[in-house]
Amino acid sequence: MAEAEKKQSGAKILLVEDELNIAKLFEFNLKKAGFVVEIANNGTAGYELAKEVKPDLIISDIMMPETDGFEFRKLLLQDVELRKIPFVFLTAKGEEEDVLEGYDLDIQDYIIKTASTKVVIAKINAILNSHKKERAKVVAEVQQAADNMRATVVPKEFPAFEGYEIRHWHVPFENVPGGDFIDYFKFDNDNLVIILGDVMGKKWGAWYFAVAYAGYVRSAIRFALQTVQDLSPAKIISKVNESVCKDERIAEVFITLSVLIVNNKTNKVKYSGAGDLPLIYKKDKVDYILSRGLLLGFDETSEYQDHEIDLISGDELFLLTDGIMESRNPWGEQFGNEGFLKALKESPAGSDSIEVIKKVFSEHTGGKYEDDVSLIEIKRI
Amino acid sequence: MVIVEQRYGNVLVEIVDLDRATLTEAGILKEALTKGIEEGLKKVVVDISKCEFVDSTFLGVLVNALKRVAKENGDMKLVGFKPGVRSMFELTRLFRVFDTYSTLEEAVKSFN
Repeated sequence: MAEAEKKQSGAKILLVEDELNIAKLFEFNLKKAGFVVEIANNGTAGYELAKEVKPDLIISDIMMPETDGFEFRKLLLQDVELRKIPFVFLTAKGEEEDVLEGYDLDIQDYIIKTASTKVVIAKINAILNSHKKERAKVVAEVQQAADNMRATVVPKEFPAFEGYEIRHWHVPFENVPGGDFIDYFKFDNDNLVIILGDVMGKKWGAWYFAVAYAGYVRSAIRFALQTVQDLSPAKIISKVNESVCKDERIAEVFITLSVLIVNNKTNKVKYSGAGDLPLIYKKDKVDYILSRGLLLGFDETSEYQDHEIDLISGDELFLLTDGIMESRNPWGEQFGNEGFLKALKESPAGSDSIEVIKKVFSEHTGGKYEDDVSLIEIKRI
Repeated sequence: MVIVEQRYGNVLVEIVDLDRATLTEAGILKEALTKGIEEGLKKVVVDISKCEFVDSTFLGVLVNALKRVAKENGDMKLVGFKPGVRSMFELTRLFRVFDTYSTLEEAVKSFN
């Protein structure tokens, strides 16, 4: 089958046409060819409908009352989302002036109203196919870049730290790194700094900025570590928060952050967090500590507090981001903090906690995650 | 319309008519709030009482708008919350930064 004839059944087409008979005729033929058709009778209504239904292709008449086809196209071009949708003008006879003005407005093609159904359908399929191929190419390139960058937001290997087993589980959303980042920093032989962060608002169609923000925060943390007098997670977070608040370039981004410092001589762990989820622990019981700090980047004067925990052999700590809490089962119920605590409480003694959580979580969600999933486990051997 | 805008005098109200407020719709709210704030409206109410769930991108839009109006000595209040959204606000400590109300009327009146 020739490329242009490959059918794009099920594709959604928005038809903007004020003449009822023509609209009906096109609707009939397009539906017969397997397309889903939405109709508006002028440019303003077409624009509103396009925002609502996000069609795969727009076909628009030129001469229409109120907002004509050219004005409609100009409206679409101002909208970041809608301007990308392939656009075709419908014209009475393909007047040269109309054709030229149309191409100035970055349209894909023209369809003459009197063209045969076969020609119209073939043109639509050809445009949709070429758009799909372009998109597939871009997605492949993004995927490639994402694969390369994943290593920069989450370490490939778990850190070796005497007396402790430290592991993480990270699944990027739809295989593209979102806003979660993990970092380990060995301050000296006795102290390991563990960092888990989540950049909010990460999916503004520009995930790579999230990767850059994550890198920025990681550098700020490492810088703070070199300048703080005593090893205090709260002080580190305060310093990072000050830098983030002062930097106008990242004013629109908010970050949740958990910082843990594990000392393998004293076996004390210091923890502080900024808008993060609770630090969960499994000792003689399963419980959690909720830090009190606000999101990074919200207020320069935010205060953060350290919490200290003593660990004995077999004790475990867990840091996680909202991808785990917010993922739902097919009935729409979130896994939640409760789901996580329950999975831990019910895990048999001596079992591998990460594997237990993975299993319960996968059963709950049916393997369909809705965000980055990140979990760090710290276990005293 | 997933975001319904109303104005009560100089109070800008955005009602989020969604069960799940996620990144898909966050852009619409962001655009509406930016437009209102740029027009000079500093008293803002966002009603999320219908939402069963608000994701972090959507939340980021709310936090950012609050930051913007606060800079101009304005304020932003929220109307809510269904249990899932309440627990998200509790977990992320956002109750400490937003004034919250259980009805739209109370939120709007709080500006007077």
